[in-house]
Amino acid sequence: MECSFGLTGKDYVLLCSDMSAGRSIIRMKSDENKIKTLGPHLAMAYGGEPGDTNNFAEYVERNMRLYHIRNHYPLLPEPASAWIRRTLAESIRSRHPYSVNLLLAGYDTTTTKPHLYWIDYLGTKAVVPYAAHGMGVYVSLSTMDKWWFNDMNKREGVEVLKKCVDEVKKRITINFNFNCILIDKDGIHHINIESEDPISEYEAAQPKDTVVEAPNPPLDVGVTA
Amino acid sequence: MSRSYDRALTVFSPDGHLFQVEYALEAVRRGTCAVGVRGSSCVVLGVEKKSTLQLQDPRTVRKVAMLDDHVCVAFAGLTADGRILIDKARVECQSHRLTVEDPVSIEYITKHIAGIQQKYTQSGGVRPFGISTLVVGFDPNDTIPRLYQTEPSGIYSAWKACAIGRASKTVREFLEKNYTEELSRDEAIKLTVKSLLEVVQTGAKNIEISVMERYGVISNLEQSEIEKIVATIESEKEAEAEKKRARIAATQAGQASMAMGSQAVSGTQTPSAGGAGGAGGEEGHATVPGEETGAQ
Amino acid sequence: MNSVLTQIQPPAPHSRLEEQDEFEHTDAAAWGSMAGFGNLSRTGGIAGMSVPRVADPTAFLDMHTDNMSSNPEAKIKIAHGTTTLAFKFQGGVIVAVDSRATAGSYVASGTVKKVIEINKFLLGTMAGGAADCQYWETYLGMQCRLYELRNKERISVAAASKILSNIVYQYKGMGLSMGTMVCGWDKTGPQIFYVDDDGQRLKGNLFSVGSGSTFAYGVLDQGYRWDLTDEEAQELGRRSIIAAGHRDAYSGNTCNLYHVKENGWDFIGNYDVNELWYEYEAKKKADRETATAAAAAPSPMAVEP
Repeated sequence: MECSFGLTGKDYVLLCSDMSAGRSIIRMKSDENKIKTLGPHLAMAYGGEPGDTNNFAEYVERNMRLYHIRNHYPLLPEPASAWIRRTLAESIRSRHPYSVNLLLAGYDTTTTKPHLYWIDYLGTKAVVPYAAHGMGVYVSLSTMDKWWFNDMNKREGVEVLKKCVDEVKKRITINFNFNCILIDKDGIHHINIESEDPISEYEAAQPKDTVVEAPNPPLDVGVTA
Repeated sequence: MSRSYDRALTVFSPDGHLFQVEYALEAVRRGTCAVGVRGSSCVVLGVEKKSTLQLQDPRTVRKVAMLDDHVCVAFAGLTADGRILIDKARVECQSHRLTVEDPVSIEYITKHIAGIQQKYTQSGGVRPFGISTLVVGFDPNDTIPRLYQTEPSGIYSAWKACAIGRASKTVREFLEKNYTEELSRDEAIKLTVKSLLEVVQTGAKNIEISVMERYGVISNLEQSEIEKIVATIESEKEAEAEKKRARIAATQAGQASMAMGSQAVSGTQTPSAGGAGGAGGEEGHATVPGEETGAQ
Repeated sequence: MNSVLTQIQPPAPHSRLEEQDEFEHTDAAAWGSMAGFGNLSRTGGIAGMSVPRVADPTAFLDMHTDNMSSNPEAKIKIAHGTTTLAFKFQGGVIVAVDSRATAGSYVASGTVKKVIEINKFLLGTMAGGAADCQYWETYLGMQCRLYELRNKERISVAAASKILSNIVYQYKGMGLSMGTMVCGWDKTGPQIFYVDDDGQRLKGNLFSVGSGSTFAYGVLDQGYRWDLTDEEAQELGRRSIIAAGHRDAYSGNTCNLYHVKENGWDFIGNYDVNELWYEYEAKKKADRETATAAAAAPSPMAVEP
């Protein structure tokens, strides 16, 4: 009972996930954040078996942070996706595999390109311009097929995402709340996808009000360049 | 089983010493100096930096490292050992966050580092870490600056100000003499630089200063800033020396005049002239060179 | 890269402590690592906790116990069926539970303590297998005390609940049955964490767990506000448990009520579900009567239209 979307634009990537958490038919929480920030320009939306999801996400988060602290720079989206895929691929061959599906979104600060990866619990990794996991697959993939195009600006991208969210709300019997982030050269920012005009709101807001807390930038202590 | 033999590195000497651990301490004493000073709301780490060779990239030589967002460590001793210990500590910082969600407290990570060091004094087939460390930082949800020291034996302790490495005894004595409670940021930095200058002859270019001001906020001082601080310290020292010389000159003059008794006193030899700034000082220097070196 | 893989071990069950780097042949706990977990492995479990000695313990337990849906007719009826709830409000945390334990359709006990007092500042609730909850939450109490002694400060609710969730995650799929709320007050204020046998751990303001939770939610959600007074909040907790005790066959007998405040928890009282239910009914009836009487009586101030 979950739903997440990802979508790349010209110089940014959007990630959107529902926020419900519960057990069987009971929703115990409707404001659970299921997007994990993995670095200053990297985040993932995850879902799957309860318990596995959080444990896996935290495991990835801490290893990304460890890499960052050890090397003074964060892991870029491409190697991060490879590492996550490999971790899942090894996990599926272990006695107790993680059942976690995820969308990994990142902005490569060295090439200024957005990246989106579709990864599932079997260890499949696909590089995609837009993607969905969960319920969103059934109704919104076609929406994105129809309206997505290359090098969309932020407004166009958010409009497509809004269409997907609308479609899910219209056709899926479960009522979802959505949580959405935008990753670009300025880092990770929150977008209120449920509002009328998210992008104007976003542009009007102070960057510090929308920023999503990410691991601190590299601390070059001890370096004298 | 040959195991009992190859563990011989860590056996006691008959008088209760672990020689390997003491040798490790010796390695620390030969390492470059590091100083930590706790201010009222910040903590300063200063290290003596070896001069890099002409073609060497100075960025690859680090004596201060971040363990996590809020923990910083400096070490003295074998740099290679330090790298390994720092990596272990970094893993523990993340592992702690993974298992209990909370970041490590400074005492916790210090205890952990000391624990690793202790383990290497009591295991077979290993040698102790040849480093002492200074661990600084702020606990989560807390504003009190922390400063801890660990040693190769696995001892750890908390300090207001501490020095490790080369000439650490001199520096520590200097700190004991000059440390005051409730140091401001600038005062703490100055004290750190001053104490380092006790052992660093070459001045600012071989000093590195990191300041942690609150949880997760840490910065390095620019070379120019350190130079400025060194310059003020030197001019203060100079002024201090002046005064001392002037005082000596004055007493000497007084003694001389007393010795001469009722004899006529020349104008330049009056005590007031001796205390009158630079010119008088020069004069004092010229008159009593022997006294000057003795007083320094 | 490879070292990253091996050094922070994944919280994967069973694989724990199998890989040992360099000199880690002595148990790391011996020198106080693992976030201060004594004899716990890094993933939080106890080395040597026994499971059925059969090839596939999970399938075995699945066959012979009734808490998994695949075989509800199993001979081993694990005591469960419960209503527990906890919520945060301006005055702290209210924890309310019922006291009935059932094994199949048999009421095994009507005086079960479903709130486990971990320490002066921490409470755990018990839903699902009574034995599992009791054992692991008592064990959690032990770990919390050790944490206190090692770190010279009280453990946060987040950390305590994380320890518990790491343990149950380690035994995921092996038949543990527990749905618990770890409630307390720490440096960051009042906190509630829901931890269940999936290894799921949720932070929140309001939770209800157990077979009667749906009924409790029905009253709780509708009456909940952040700015409830202490009395109102206690009454809401009590009323919600009574509601569940009335509707859910597996919940009932009595209600135990706790209130967590800044300086620790208070036990508010034990209330008989049946008695209270009829009291509420009588009060509702009386209130209705006065209301209708008031409506029927012509108001002296009424102005004719």
